[in-house]
Amino acid sequence: MDTTELISRIEQGFIVERPEEMDDEYRAVLRETLIVSGDTEFVSAATLLTAVPKAPSVQSQMSLLSVIQDEIGHAHIAYRLLADLGEDITALVYEREPARFKHPYAFDFEVRDWSEMAVLNALFDRAGFVLLSDVHRNSSYGPWRRALAKVDKEQTFHIRHGETWVRRLAADEATRAEVQRAVDWMFPAALEFFGLPDDMKHRPAQLTYRIRATPNEKLRQDWLASAVPFLRDCGLDVPAHFDEPSQTWVLDFPFPCAFLPGERRWVFDQPVTWHDVLARWRGRGPRNGEFVSQLQRGHRALAELSGAAA
Amino acid sequence: MNPAAGNAPYEVFARRRPGEQLGHIGSVFAANPTLAVHYARWMYDEEAWAEMCVVPRAQLRPVAARRHGSTPERRV
Repeated sequence: MDTTELISRIEQGFIVERPEEMDDEYRAVLRETLIVSGDTEFVSAATLLTAVPKAPSVQSQMSLLSVIQDEIGHAHIAYRLLADLGEDITALVYEREPARFKHPYAFDFEVRDWSEMAVLNALFDRAGFVLLSDVHRNSSYGPWRRALAKVDKEQTFHIRHGETWVRRLAADEATRAEVQRAVDWMFPAALEFFGLPDDMKHRPAQLTYRIRATPNEKLRQDWLASAVPFLRDCGLDVPAHFDEPSQTWVLDFPFPCAFLPGERRWVFDQPVTWHDVLARWRGRGPRNGEFVSQLQRGHRALAELSGAAA
Repeated sequence: MNPAAGNAPYEVFARRRPGEQLGHIGSVFAANPTLAVHYARWMYDEEAWAEMCVVPRAQLRPVAARRHGSTPERRV
């Protein structure tokens, strides 16, 4: 099938099921999109692991371990779909340089306290949910749509888990400032999950091929419409408001703006370009190397043992 | 989950409740059927399935398949 025919069929609702039905560009864009999705879930497991010692009770620790197991399961979905496309998953997952992983920048930081854990679930999982719900409902790639039924269900549980804790910690005078500190850096960080504005992307074909269907700016709005009222309801300060005339959510700070990773602080009086943001993302955050190495360690140890035994 | 280390793909099928359809829910890569069963049970725990089974992908024989995105057609 040539490209024009494929795109026109997709516009009419055609669902791609098999590699033979793709053209090279469809395959390349799908591959890239699946890698971002798989890496996001995979690396988040290492990030979340740093929260385990911060859990306030055995029960909350069990919930967190269950969330981590879910994330690995979600990574498996994207990676097994890539394997079906012919990707060498061993090389991709276990032999890739940490800095070449494509997860959001915010996962390159350890979780400092249980408030950050709560906000991570409430805001970052919500971003993941918004992004993947679009794929689940609208994607032209059948195998991914079906696989996301599991993710949709489990992400909902993660968001509820985060919301329960944010509400509880924000209501308590002893932890309120800690939750606010988490929101202050994680709210803008969550906005970055939606990536560049679509007109700046080097691969607008994601939308043309309907691998995902909704523009990034619209998804960011959906996320704001859900996250801001929740945070407000918990009595937290959020730098965004609903603008009645335009009927859109508007940020009260320049986006994108500069970020100081050491302090985990956004510099609201220092706007930057998306080019600067890309440079920061490519440079990765402070724990990137450590987190990815941790995830790759078991595979390497097993390979060495097998080698020694042979 | 590693297809390169002598592992083979297994398709995973499950039924949520008795009377519902047995549906394809995903796949696992495993070195043998026993491990495939364990991987499937751990990986696809989003439901309390009434029934779940794994089938080596190599054992599936296509009977019908759409060609070029047209209407389904029979292969003889």
